Amino acid sequence: MAINISNAKNRDAIVALEAVRQKRDIRYIDENHNMVLNRRLLKTDVAHDLATLTKKDGDLEKLGKKLVEDDPEIDIEHFGMFLGETSRVYVSENGIVHSVEEFEVIYNPDGSVRERRPRKKEMQNINNDAPLKWTGKFIKKKEAVKKFVFATKKQLIHINGLTYDFLYEMAKELHEKDSLMLLRGGEKGNQPLILHRGGKPYNAFLEGRVDGDAYCLILHLSNMELKKPKKVEED
Amino acid sequence: MARALVLSLDGNEFPVQMQKIDREKLYGNVEIEAFDEAGNKAFLQILDVDGKTLIDTGGTSLATLDEDGNSVDRKKLTPITSDGEEVQSVPSSFSAPNILYEATIDEYLSHSVKSVYLLTPPEGSNFDLLEDVLSGDAIYKFDFSYRGGLEYDTAFLAGNEKNIFMIIGVNTNMQFVKLNQSGVLEPVEEQEISGEEIEFDLF
Repeated sequence: MAINISNAKNRDAIVALEAVRQKRDIRYIDENHNMVLNRRLLKTDVAHDLATLTKKDGDLEKLGKKLVEDDPEIDIEHFGMFLGETSRVYVSENGIVHSVEEFEVIYNPDGSVRERRPRKKEMQNINNDAPLKWTGKFIKKKEAVKKFVFATKKQLIHINGLTYDFLYEMAKELHEKDSLMLLRGGEKGNQPLILHRGGKPYNAFLEGRVDGDAYCLILHLSNMELKKPKKVEED
Repeated sequence: MARALVLSLDGNEFPVQMQKIDREKLYGNVEIEAFDEAGNKAFLQILDVDGKTLIDTGGTSLATLDEDGNSVDRKKLTPITSDGEEVQSVPSSFSAPNILYEATIDEYLSHSVKSVYLLTPPEGSNFDLLEDVLSGDAIYKFDFSYRGGLEYDTAFLAGNEKNIFMIIGVNTNMQFVKLNQSGVLEPVEEQEISGEEIEFDLF
């Protein structure tokens, strides 16, 4: 994906933002040393589940007798078939919903309801006309790791010679400061980052490392602090 | 009481209890409620590509198949790396004391976090020495596997305000890049849209 970012001199550029793959690669082979693969199968569908069958037969007792005599819960033609591309849909008692209304219910840590409001899907703000702001707000790495949990990481990569110089200088400055820098989005440069429409907002911190003429510029995404929950303190 | 994890530092052993920490415990959580046009509650289900088969939670399963399409017993499979080397299983970290090694900050930042635990001493004991060591800038690590399995994650220990946290992470594939290793921006795909896809109620 693309990310529009500015540097300390307020110069901006669109560069590549790439996922950082975990260093795992385990495969499985069978007794003949051939690779195996996983496929998703249909086990049962809504038309053959307990709620639907009970509704058809009126009550559980009638359904129970039917289950002994026959196999109403199995569709011999379809169960066990491989599933291809599927989609997620909303379903109500009237069938598939084409015009759905969504609400967000916000719960406190103790489970009580704090607020209920119509759901708003925020747009992504990493590749807009307003580039992500170089806030100049630094935090030493050794302090940051004890305050925040960095759940996700992305890597910024240049797309041509100009953006190589642009990103290399950023990485060098951050490397020399041994610090992470808070990155903000939005017109005013004060919003957390949202990578996709409807995605979760994250506090984003930029880290830079250099090794000769090579650089590594990492976007650390955090939505959690490293702290003890209140309930544990009270207990 | 849950089984204690035993940590070992400079010859001293510290049994600890683990308590998982997540966003829900710290900040609460958000649930989505959905309704149809008539105000009836709606729930997410899976729709198959045929456009009519609806599948609820638990309605699918994963099958492992050989190259002929026959179902294979997973117990008869052998795990290998991408180099073709057989993977040896690792024991659970609860089976023996885990020696702590000092880690660098960069090493920690190269890991993606899977889970976070708050560590506490079992009733009647304390780990003041461990708290003192971790109250400074140092971070420690050890190889961690909860139940035993194919490979270890890395557990990092970090302390703040007299609390000790264990952060489980997986090493990522971050690489230094040079001038000739540029990335590619995904091209914007042109697509035809219908008038119904454009929202006007924003105005």
